[in-house]
Amino acid sequence: MPFDFDAGKYAVYVWPAFAITLAAFVWMIADSLASARRWRREAERLQALKEARKP
Amino acid sequence: MGARDPHHPLDFLTNPDRFMAFSRWAAPMFGAIAAVLAVIGLAMAFAVPEDYQQGDTVRMMFIHVPAAVISMFVYLCLGAASFLALIFRHALADAAAVACAPLGAAFTVLALATGSLWGKPMWGTWWVWDARLTSVLVLLLFYLGYLALRSALEDEQKAARAAAILALVGLINLPIIKFSVEWWNSLHQGSSTLFAKPENRLPAVYAWPMLVMFLAYLSAFGSLWLVRIRALVWRRKARALALQQAEG
Repeated sequence: MPFDFDAGKYAVYVWPAFAITLAAFVWMIADSLASARRWRREAERLQALKEARKP
Repeated sequence: MGARDPHHPLDFLTNPDRFMAFSRWAAPMFGAIAAVLAVIGLAMAFAVPEDYQQGDTVRMMFIHVPAAVISMFVYLCLGAASFLALIFRHALADAAAVACAPLGAAFTVLALATGSLWGKPMWGTWWVWDARLTSVLVLLLFYLGYLALRSALEDEQKAARAAAILALVGLINLPIIKFSVEWWNSLHQGSSTLFAKPENRLPAVYAWPMLVMFLAYLSAFGSLWLVRIRALVWRRKARALALQQAEG
């Protein structure tokens, strides 16, 4: 399958569009995973604290 | 009202424990599917011949159109989840609505930005206040308004209710976006995808990469949506535990 990466005179529009798309996906993935990790750790920490305080 | 059947087929979407068990494998599975489809779709996008009129800018279609369609689909999910949260006061539905908003806003920004980059060489302008572009900008404002309302009110229940009503009002914008190119004169082209008139449909050489990229975006949204709902379930649990400890 021959690829055509030469966008010629339109390169100044085509590549920034792909770069913005990549950046948006990187942000969505990083922010979603960081948020999930943060709250899972917090919940686990508080759960462990609760278990430790049980008589 | 009768007791809820724990073996109901949709129980994994309403019971937080079952949802967490389901999403634990479903989120990475959708993520992997999205990654594979994106690689295939991008390979196809750079292998198609350039368009006889639009030249190489046609490759932007494969990232712009899926972003635009998904930005509307995410809002539909936001509206449906808000409706369920408002009527049934279901915590998972509310979490699903909250999780939609930042993702939908990101897809809408992508649609606007890539559309602008495509519009400059084709229309000779970055932006024009026509019905399609303006209604998509309004969609972004609904997403941002939803997020602002959720964070502006201290009472979470009041914030959830106000934001859900705003989300439902915003649903009226979806048919306006869809039919804007038919109702008003617009620089933006009409539909050329699956539901377009046969004479306006994309040729197969462009339609297949578009379909693959659309499925990649859809799978990515599915994966990220589940991850964000999981984060909100953990947050809810952490806050409940913190409250118990403060009281006890």
